[in-house]
Amino acid sequence: MMDRSPKPPEALMRAIAQDLRPVRPSPQPLQLALRMVPLALLVSSVILLAIGLRHDLGILGPLLGWGASAAQFVLAIVLVWIAAHESTPAGRLPRQMVYLAAAAACLVVVFVTLLTFSTSPANAPLLRVPPRVNEMLRVSPWIMGFACGIGSTVAGGILVLFFSWVFRNSLATRPTMAGALYGAGAGLAINAGWRVACPVSTPWHALGAHGAAIIATAILGALIGRFLGNRRLHIGGRRS
Amino acid sequence: MSEGDQELRALMIRYQGGSLEAFQELYAQVAPGVRRYLLHLAAGSEIADDLLQETFLQMHRSRAAYNSNYAVKPWVFGLARNVFLMNRRAARRWAKVHESREDLPEFPVLPEADRLGSQDEIRRSIACLAPDQAEALLLHHEWGFSFEEIAGMLGISAAAARARASRGMADLRVALNSLQRARA
Repeated sequence: MMDRSPKPPEALMRAIAQDLRPVRPSPQPLQLALRMVPLALLVSSVILLAIGLRHDLGILGPLLGWGASAAQFVLAIVLVWIAAHESTPAGRLPRQMVYLAAAAACLVVVFVTLLTFSTSPANAPLLRVPPRVNEMLRVSPWIMGFACGIGSTVAGGILVLFFSWVFRNSLATRPTMAGALYGAGAGLAINAGWRVACPVSTPWHALGAHGAAIIATAILGALIGRFLGNRRLHIGGRRS
Repeated sequence: MSEGDQELRALMIRYQGGSLEAFQELYAQVAPGVRRYLLHLAAGSEIADDLLQETFLQMHRSRAAYNSNYAVKPWVFGLARNVFLMNRRAARRWAKVHESREDLPEFPVLPEADRLGSQDEIRRSIACLAPDQAEALLLHHEWGFSFEEIAGMLGISAAAARARASRGMADLRVALNSLQRARA
C-alpha cells in the first residue's frame, strides 16, 4: 500500500536525521500567555518596592487603584494570547479581533488615565527621596516624565526579551505583528504596576511617559519579531 | 476528530519524540497535498518543490511549536502558506515565483464542478478567480478543511472563509456556464 508513497528527498532526510533530538511540545496559547504572569508580577513588585505606592491610592479607591491595574494586566495577557495565536500556523485569529484588542488596549489606557486624573489630579511628585529631589522634580516635571518613560521601557524590555525567548520558534506569518503584540502586552503589564507607584496623574505625564513606554516596548517587540522572522527566512535560504 | 487526523497527531507526537520513521510516514501522508497547495499558491511555478522542502525543513526546526491540540494538516498547510509568503517577501525569490510555467498548475478539479466542464476548463476558470476565493474554495472542497480550520490558517473568521469559498464557487459556476454557452 505504501509503495507509491512519496519519500522525502535525500537532502531533506539528511538535514532531519542530523538533528532528531526529542523536543517538548509547545504549550497552548493561553498557557504560553500565562507564563508571563510570574515574571511581570516580580518586575512590578520590584518597582513598587523601589518607588513605593502612590500617596493618593486612598483617594482613588480599590477599584480605580488596583482594579484598573488588574484590568490592564488581564488585557496584557489577552494581547500575548493573541500573539501566541498569531504565531501558530493553524491557530490564527481573525484580523479584526487582533485590531480590536489593540484598540481596546489603547482605549483602556486613555480611559484609566483620564478617570484617574479626574478623581485625583495629583501632579506633585512625592517620592521616597530627599525633599530637594522632590522639589527639583516638581520644578522640572520633564525629568519625572523621562524617568518614568525610561524606567517602564526598561522594565517592559525585560518582559519583551523573555517573550522573544518564548516565541523563538514562532511560525508567525506576520512576525512583526506578533512581536508588536507581545511587546504591547509586556508594556501594558508593566504599566499596570507602574501606575500604582507613579505619583503623577496628569494626562500628559501618564500618556506621554507611560504611554510612550508601551509604544516603545511594542516597537521593540516588533523589531525583535521581525529579526526572528528574517533569521528564519535567512536560515531557510541557506539550504543547498 | 477523524481517524486520519488522530493518526497524524500520533505520528507528529512520535516525530517530536525523535522518530525518523514517523517523519517519513508524516511526509508520505501530507506532502502530496501540500505540494499541490504550494503549486496553487505559486501559480504553477517550479519553486513549489523548493517551497515544499522548505516547509518540511521549517516544520523540523519548529517541531517543538506544534501542540497536539491542533489538527496536523491545517498546521502544516498553514506553515506552507507561511513559507510561501515569507519567500515571496524575499525579493530575489519573488521574480522566480512569477516565472510560472506555460501549463496550468496541477491543482485539482473540484468534484462539485466536475459536471460543469472539462478538467482543463475548470482549472482555467479556477485560475481566473480572485486568489483569496480560489484559495478558500480549494482548501474547503479539495483538501476538505473545515471553515474553522481555514479561518485559523488564513487569519480570518470562519464566516469570512465560508463567504470566500461560496463566492468562489458561484463565480466558478458563472465562468463555466458562460464557457458552455459559448461552446453551444
